[in-house]
Amino acid sequence: MKKYNFKKLWNIFFSFLKIGGFTLGGGYAMIPLIKREVCEKQKWLSEEEFLDGLAAAQSSPGPIAVNISIYSGYNAQGIPGMLVATLGTVLPSFVIIIAIAMLFREFADQKVVRKAFSALEPAVVALIAVPLIDMAKKSGINKRNIWLPFIAALLVGLLNVTPVIIILISILYTLWETRK
Amino acid sequence: MILLNMFLTFFKIGLFSFGGGYAILAMIRQEVVLINPWLTQQEFMQVVAISQMTPGPIAINAATFVGYHKAGVLGSFVCTLGVVMPSLIVMALITITYVKLRELEWFKKIFKRLRLLSVGLIGAALIMILPKAVESTFALGVFIVSFFATWRWKVSPFTLLIVAAIFGAIFGIA
Repeated sequence: MKKYNFKKLWNIFFSFLKIGGFTLGGGYAMIPLIKREVCEKQKWLSEEEFLDGLAAAQSSPGPIAVNISIYSGYNAQGIPGMLVATLGTVLPSFVIIIAIAMLFREFADQKVVRKAFSALEPAVVALIAVPLIDMAKKSGINKRNIWLPFIAALLVGLLNVTPVIIILISILYTLWETRK
Repeated sequence: MILLNMFLTFFKIGLFSFGGGYAILAMIRQEVVLINPWLTQQEFMQVVAISQMTPGPIAINAATFVGYHKAGVLGSFVCTLGVVMPSLIVMALITITYVKLRELEWFKKIFKRLRLLSVGLIGAALIMILPKAVESTFALGVFIVSFFATWRWKVSPFTLLIVAAIFGAIFGIA
């Protein structure tokens, strides 16, 4: 049986805990920090390996920050590395959100909180709208394929069709198209 | 049994979320507001706002919040486990086989198409929440200023939301 280096596992866990706990603004904001930690500071991966992993993390389901932690952890120390990296990334959000959820019930009905949220909600919607422009550029949208995101947005947004069906149909159609 | 139902729901969300972050919002809303009565529309928006101000991926935050709301800390654990599990399984498989997979034509094509789709799914999230979020003139004004602050002046989400919260607490509508 392979012996695992517990000091290294602790190191992996702690590295991702740090990143998970101090990065605001969701998954994409975490990537440069993860890269610096695993490529430059800890040297678990070469830059090229990291970029390969990033492409894989973007193409597999789930939060991108979790996926890249899984990849980095696995390459640093196999399956145990993968598990502690995931735990490290998820734990800070988990603890912080539980704390907020506990307090939230008491404060949600206070006037000042409701007033704050009346401005927070439209601001959040703006935060969702802006990356749409950026992502549309990067995803290679052109006149011939723009119908796909357009129809998907209408089906899911207006008719409440589940994205599951649309994703499955896209995958199956692509497989059929590229058969042989 | 609600715990099992929550686990399966978040497992499904995790499994079918491509393109990260915002692309997953439409599906989370469908599952936790429309299909299951776990959050109201208003609570959903609050979770999204809180997720933007706290560290970590939005899907994890939503899972933890919904879980706590319905079944306490155990519920949080079950939902978070559900949303992370598909990542662990699929990403482990891909990590082991990716170098071979990415040379394949169908594999490349599928992910090109899924990237396009994720743009559509963010659009769907906007269609769902934009009309309700900008009902008042006040809200519309905040939306427009926030949009340009983020897009043109590159204000960070955290700064924007702190300013919005303070502004709202003083001038907002209760």
